[in-house]
This record gives sequence, structure tokens and C-alpha cells, in this order.
Amino acid sequence: MLDTIISVWATQQLTLRTIQHLSMFFIALSISIIIAIIAALLVYSNPRVGNIWFNILNVIETIPELALFIFLLPILGLGEPPTIAACVLYSILPIMRNTYTGLANVSNEYIEIAKAIGLTKNEILFKIRLPMALPLISGGIRVAVVYTMGIITLGGLIAAGGLGVPLQAGIHQYNIPAIIIASLWVGTLGVVFDAVAWIIENKLARRYNPW
Amino acid sequence: MKFDHVTKIYKETKAVDDVSFDICKGELFVLLGSSGSGKTTTLRLINRLIDPDEGTIYLNGNDTKDMNPVELRRRMGYVIQQIGLFPHMTVKENIGIIPKLERWKEEDISKRTNELLNLVALPPDYFRSRYPHQLSGGQQQRVGLARALAMDPPLLLMDEPFGALDPLLRMQLQNEFLSIKRKLEKTIVFVTHDIEEAFTLADRIGVMHNGKILQIGTPSELLFNPVNEIVSKIIGSENKFKAIKFLQAKDVMIPMDKKYLLQENMTCQEAVNIMISNKIELSIVKESNGDIKQVILSDLLKNEDMRRSINDFGRKLVIVPPDENLSSIITLLKSSNEKLAIVMNQNEIQGLVMIDSVLINLV
Ligand SMILES: Nc1ncnc2c1ncn2[C@@H]1O[C@H](COP(=O)(O)OP(=O)(O)O)[C@@H](O)[C@H]1O
Ligand SMILES: [Mg+2]
Repeated sequence: MLDTIISVWATQQLTLRTIQHLSMFFIALSISIIIAIIAALLVYSNPRVGNIWFNILNVIETIPELALFIFLLPILGLGEPPTIAACVLYSILPIMRNTYTGLANVSNEYIEIAKAIGLTKNEILFKIRLPMALPLISGGIRVAVVYTMGIITLGGLIAAGGLGVPLQAGIHQYNIPAIIIASLWVGTLGVVFDAVAWIIENKLARRYNPW
Repeated sequence: MKFDHVTKIYKETKAVDDVSFDICKGELFVLLGSSGSGKTTTLRLINRLIDPDEGTIYLNGNDTKDMNPVELRRRMGYVIQQIGLFPHMTVKENIGIIPKLERWKEEDISKRTNELLNLVALPPDYFRSRYPHQLSGGQQQRVGLARALAMDPPLLLMDEPFGALDPLLRMQLQNEFLSIKRKLEKTIVFVTHDIEEAFTLADRIGVMHNGKILQIGTPSELLFNPVNEIVSKIIGSENKFKAIKFLQAKDVMIPMDKKYLLQENMTCQEAVNIMISNKIELSIVKESNGDIKQVILSDLLKNEDMRRSINDFGRKLVIVPPDENLSSIITLLKSSNEKLAIVMNQNEIQGLVMIDSVLINLV
């Protein structure tokens, strides 16, 4: 049993694949978070462009991942760039939607008192709305974590590296142990990251929305 | 501060209707009225959370319309009944939020926070780093007051700040607030629907009803000379007059303290010395013929010759028996323009009735 794992790990270069996988994961997730939060802030301050943005993103979310890959291939070629781009396109919506909802739904009482003691509009946005939206934002990020994990695994199909590669290889060569071990490993990573995100979300909720 | 024919209209309702009044520096001005009478709207007009549809609001002679609203608000403390503290900030961050935006040095913010926490009777070491949800309602309200005072604003706006607290705690906070107020000498506009609170705190009260200020006056002016039925209903004068009818002198008197008694034929100088060291302004002298007179410190001081006998300065005094009812005492005092009556049983002085403090305790 252990022997099989060790040999599959070695032949399929799982250490290397894991490093590739995680580096794509963190890059894609960071880009998504930054773009989504900035976009949400912009949309929040200019509500008129908001609807257009959300409509575009809603449409993108309904396109199947594979179709999106095919669509992105001619633009970005094979490998990591289209995979990361697909991750970002999918992840922006949940994060942005939650950020926007979080910003908009801060109880009016807090906004009133903030205004009354002399905060400007921008100060209210960054000192009151944004921090109080953090629990919801992290909820959106948690959804994005799951999306990103899945899409990067699919990226193996278009030569992006990562843990999708051993899965593809296993399927091609009908190598059952490789399939099982690689998929269990991807699954474990997914569960662990989701758990970490969940813990962070809860911590933030208790810190920023204790009532 | 001055309101000059200010009106604020929401759709059909005139929330504030042609309101004019002045508030003096250092005064605690209470806006009293039932819910929906326009108190909060009036308060929000002052710091320009809303702007009037008609009329002008002046601050130190300047039209507030010409001032930057953010700067204006930073020069006015604002305390409300609802939660009000930001839940994601510690007590210190809540108090220091405006100083920080004003780019105070970190050590100055810390120093100021500690000062203010001490002022509102919250030990800084214990409370500084707590979050609002870790505090009781009374503690939160104290922090709210501290935050309003952070920039040392000359004017404080308070909208039913103690409304959500239970009666006992409310009373305690009112007393603390009064003593803080005496220390700070700020101008305060205080909104409440609670007549007891208004009478406890106010220098002057503006009675609001349907967006109008019906009457402005000291508590006893409102109690005794309400301009119309509505005011007397709001003040509850009738109930108070009922109480005044059945209460008797002995129920409301302060037992006689010997420090108020002076020997007859003392010199002015001696009397002045005694009164000043006893911190009193007024003394009672029982003359050998049985007359009771009052001697007032300022009369003695105004006189040129301090060797004269105090008997020359005795003034007549309203004297009532212990079972005299309060309403006749008030009538007697009003007709003789006095504020103090002596309660005597046979030839024995039993106590004093100080009408102002009696009335404040009544409401
Ligand atoms: N933002 C608003 N929009 C519409 N009507 C309002 C608004 N604010 C207050 N009013 C109305 O103005 C009147 C006075 O309200 P308010 O000043 O809050 O009274 P109070 O503080 O004395 O209870 C009420 O009839 C209320 O319904
Ligand atoms: Mg109100």
C-alpha cells in the first residue's frame, strides 16, 4: 500500500505537481481577490455601471469551464495563463457580489453616526463599510477557493501542469492507482483549503459582526 | 446658536415648522416633546445631516450653510440612543477615530483616550482594548459620550442618549453626566421625551409639538406659566398640581440645620465670616421678641459699616405650619416673591421649604 503510494508519488512527480498546482492556486486567488474587491468598491461608488458589470459576470459564470478554456485558448495559448484567467473570471463574481452586498448592507445606524461625527464619504467607505463587510467578503472568497481548485485541476487538459496532469495521465494509461492517489490528494487539498477559509470566515464574523 | 424661522418639510409633513430660538453659550438646552414632534430633525439640522427648506441656522453669528459640513460636525459632539459604537473597533479606536483622521500623533490619541475614559468613569486599562459587544449598555453609552468629547467640541448634541437604559442606570448616568457637564462647561442641546429627565438636566427647556416650539423656559416657568393647554399637558402640570395639593410642608421640608441659625445682634462682620465659612448665602435669626427674620449675605456685604447689628438687615419671612399644604405655600411665596419658607411648630423652627428644589424633586 505505502509502497504503491511512494512509487506513484515518484513516477507522477507529485511533489512538483503539487507545487505547480498551489502556486497557480495562490496566484489566481490573489488576482481574483484584488480585482473583485477593487471592482466592488468602484461599482459601489458608481452604481450606474454596477448592473452592467454584474450582468457580464453572471453570464460568464454560466459558461461551462471547458467551453471557457476553448474560448480563451486562441487568446492566451496553452498552459498556465488561460487556466489562471479562467479561475479569475469565475472567482471574481462570488467575491465581488459578496463584497458589494457587504458594503451596501451595513446597517444605516452606523452610517448615520459615522456621518454625524464627521467622517467623509470615502472615510465611511474604507473605515466603516469595508471592514464591516469582511465576513461576507471572506464568504465569497471561500466559494472562489472551491472554484479555483477545480479549474486548476482541469487545467491539466491544456498543459497547465499541476495535479490535473497525473489525473489525465492516469486516465490515458488506465493507471488506477495513479488516478486514485492523485484524486484523493486533490480532494484532501480542497477540503483543507476550504476548512482554512471557513475558519477565517468565522473568525472575521466574530470580530467584525459580533451581534 | 440661533434658529431663525427654520422649516423642514418631508413630503406633506412639516417636521420642523417655522422654529426660532437662541441657545446661549454654556447652557444645557433640552428639546422636550413626544415622539414625532420634530426633536431629532431639529438636532440634525444643527450639524447639517439635513439642510432646512426655509430659514437660517447661525453658529457664533455665521450661517452654517456657508460652512463645510464635515468640519462643522467635527466641532460638535454627537451622541445617540442606539448602539452607535462601531462594532469592529475597540473602545480606544472608537474614541480615537476622528483624532486619527485628523492625524494626531498616536501617543496623543492614547493620552486623550485615557483622559476621556477616566472622565466617564471607565478605568482605561480595563476598557481600552475591549470591543463594544463586550460592554454593558451603560458602559457603551459612556464610551459614546467619550467619543463625542474626543475633539473637545464646544457644542454637544445628544439625542435621547439614556433612553434605552433601565430607570436606575438612567438616573445614575444622568447624575454622572451633570457632574461631567459642570467640569467641561460645554453648550449642550439635549433631546428627550422624558419630562423627568428634562427637569433634572435642563437649564432651559423648549417644548416641541407637531414641529413647532410652543414655549421656551426654565422648568418652573413651564410648570407655573404654561402658555397653553398643550404645554401644560406635556409638562403634566395638572398632575403636579394634584401632588401639590395633597403634599404638606412637613413632607417636603428640609430639616433645620443649625448652621443656618445666627445669634441676634451679631455684627455684620461676624455674620459674614460665619456664613462664608458655612458656604451659605442666607441665615435665619430668631429675635428676642419672637420674630423670625432672614438675613441675606449679599445685603450684609453691600452695607458700608460692618460693625452694624444684623438685626438691621432682617427681612420678613414666609412662615408656615407643618400641615400647610404645598399649593398654599406656593401661593404665599409667589405673592411675596420669595423662594424660601420656614416651617414652624409653636415656637420651634422645624425646617425649610426651598421651593425650587421641591419642584425639581416633584417631577
Ligand atoms: N427622513 C424622513 N423622511 C420622512 N419623514 C420624516 C423623516 N424624518 C422624520 N420624518 C417625520 O418628521 C416628523 C418628526 O420626526 P422626528 O424629528 O424624528 O421626531 P422626534 O425625534 O421628535 O421623535 C415625524 O412625523 C416623522 O415621521
Ligand atoms: Mg427622535
